[in-house]
Amino acid sequence: MSHAYLAGAAKRIAQANVVILLAYVLTFVVVSILPGDPITNVLRDPQNGFGEDEIKAIIAAQGLDQPIPVQLWTSLSHFVVGDLGLSMRSSRPVATLIAEVLPSTLILSSAAFAIALLLAVTIGYGTQFVPKRLGQGLLRGFPSFFLSVPNFVIGLVLIHLFGFQLGLFRVIAPNSFWATCFAAVALGIPVSARIAEVLIANLDKESEQEYAAVARGRGLTQMRLFAKHLLKPSSLPVVTVIALAIGELLGGSLITETVFGRTGIGSLVQRAVSTQDLPVLQAVVSLAAVVFVLVNLIADLVYPLLDPRVKLVGDSRVRRTTADDSAIASSATVTS
Amino acid sequence: MTLASFSSASRVASIGPPTALRVPPTVALSFAVIAIVIAWSVAPSLFTGQSPIVGVPADKLLAPSTAHWFGTDHLGRDLYTRVVYGTASSVTSALVAVVIATFTGGFIGLLAGFLGGWVDVVLARLVDVLLAIPNFLLAVIVVTAIGFDTTNAAIATGVSAVAVFARVMRSEVIKTRQAVFVEAAFLMGGSRWHILLRHVLPNASRSVLPLAVLQFGLSILVIASLAFLGYGDPPPASDWGLLISIGKDYLKWPWLVYAPAFVTIATVLSVNRISRWLRKTD
Repeated sequence: MSHAYLAGAAKRIAQANVVILLAYVLTFVVVSILPGDPITNVLRDPQNGFGEDEIKAIIAAQGLDQPIPVQLWTSLSHFVVGDLGLSMRSSRPVATLIAEVLPSTLILSSAAFAIALLLAVTIGYGTQFVPKRLGQGLLRGFPSFFLSVPNFVIGLVLIHLFGFQLGLFRVIAPNSFWATCFAAVALGIPVSARIAEVLIANLDKESEQEYAAVARGRGLTQMRLFAKHLLKPSSLPVVTVIALAIGELLGGSLITETVFGRTGIGSLVQRAVSTQDLPVLQAVVSLAAVVFVLVNLIADLVYPLLDPRVKLVGDSRVRRTTADDSAIASSATVTS
Repeated sequence: MTLASFSSASRVASIGPPTALRVPPTVALSFAVIAIVIAWSVAPSLFTGQSPIVGVPADKLLAPSTAHWFGTDHLGRDLYTRVVYGTASSVTSALVAVVIATFTGGFIGLLAGFLGGWVDVVLARLVDVLLAIPNFLLAVIVVTAIGFDTTNAAIATGVSAVAVFARVMRSEVIKTRQAVFVEAAFLMGGSRWHILLRHVLPNASRSVLPLAVLQFGLSILVIASLAFLGYGDPPPASDWGLLISIGKDYLKWPWLVYAPAFVTIATVLSVNRISRWLRKTD
């Protein structure tokens, strides 16, 4: 841990905080500046039966009659100390709402992540050792195929085949073991495709290296060659993709939870969207930003420790841009 | 814009020198799929004689047959017809999304990369923030703010993809700016704007084209997902995502899901294949 490393780390952490705050502000701006006034729409709904005076009182109590910059400042100053505010719909603390559904989403997305990694590595192994005539090309086509399938379709196909035809799980019991497993598969497959694309490209590069030829010449078994000599150097660029993929898990859970009828962050967002419940949306977006920024921060901090050639520079953009661009580039080029 | 480049690319390929630009069979097939999709969206009535909105209740939930290629839905409407009529809005909205993402993102990246300094720092933070919010969540938030319909879903999808384009454009511009011919243009007394428009922009945007094509495929998926969640046009519109969403309530008649899903997947696969091919021949 050199001095330069610590200084770079401190700067990165500061930047991460700025990004989180800005994500919060951005959501506020997007939802409140744009036209449409969901609150008064709900209040004025004749079924709710509020009079003009009552509406005014409610709006004043929520601080919604203040100018927008003032509202933003109030909300931001609460956010900084960890107060996420009250849901406009149910008047319950947003933090409680999120805490209620978070475990379900965490279980789903960590299972999905494990499946994604396992699948990606298996596909990667296959592309190196499955002979051409036994369908190596098919394996290489997997990632680009799965990136072309909407993930709700994967979920529906799984429900149809395993739920309806084979009767392995019932849709009306979304939290049963099998239902959770299949939901995780549906969520994990597109993520695994993203990881596999980059992994395959790097495995191909590494297996052409001289040291790989030497290792083969020494008579290493496929497994050892793969695990010790190919996978390790190939997994470094994958760290960046994994960090990007975590965000996708959160976004994808929105759909997967709908398809499988689970409650979770996704269904919370859905409900918040239909009622334009700003505090809930803001909280979820900031949560997503926090997760994304944290994972990236960890990736950034771990990277130089894994690969001494990489220096942690205070200005993250210098290195990360090239890393991400190559990830984007390779995701567009791999597999033909 | 992207459609135009599809067709021009294929034309170049067929008359170009066979060594450099030979079209692999899978790419030719992809172009064929895209051609069909474009034809469907331009003139749906040429491909089917039935109505996408009015059904024959007696024929409801029929399995696929020669009379109804994709079967019929719960109101006795021909599903193939619904898919064909849904093509226009599914594909055009993806196109709108790509155009928004490419131009906004490209502009941000161009400014950041070319001007540098504090402009770069500010724009880089903005891009960081956009990247930190998962794409799909961002699209959902934007579409919430501007209202649920297919055009807005397209705008939201475009906004959520701005960051990627900004990043790639920025790094390309920085790469190009350091090229010898740009330096030469400076020394010959070219103004900043002249160099930006004549030298940096054309060269930097080359690598944006395959990305735009790739994003077209992605946008189809994102817009289908938004439609699936009900954030697009309501029925009787027949966007592909909406068709699948309706089909999911009738899983005993699985073609209601599989047929529109098949069309969506075939389209996106073709677009992705073309994007990879473009990148390779570049």
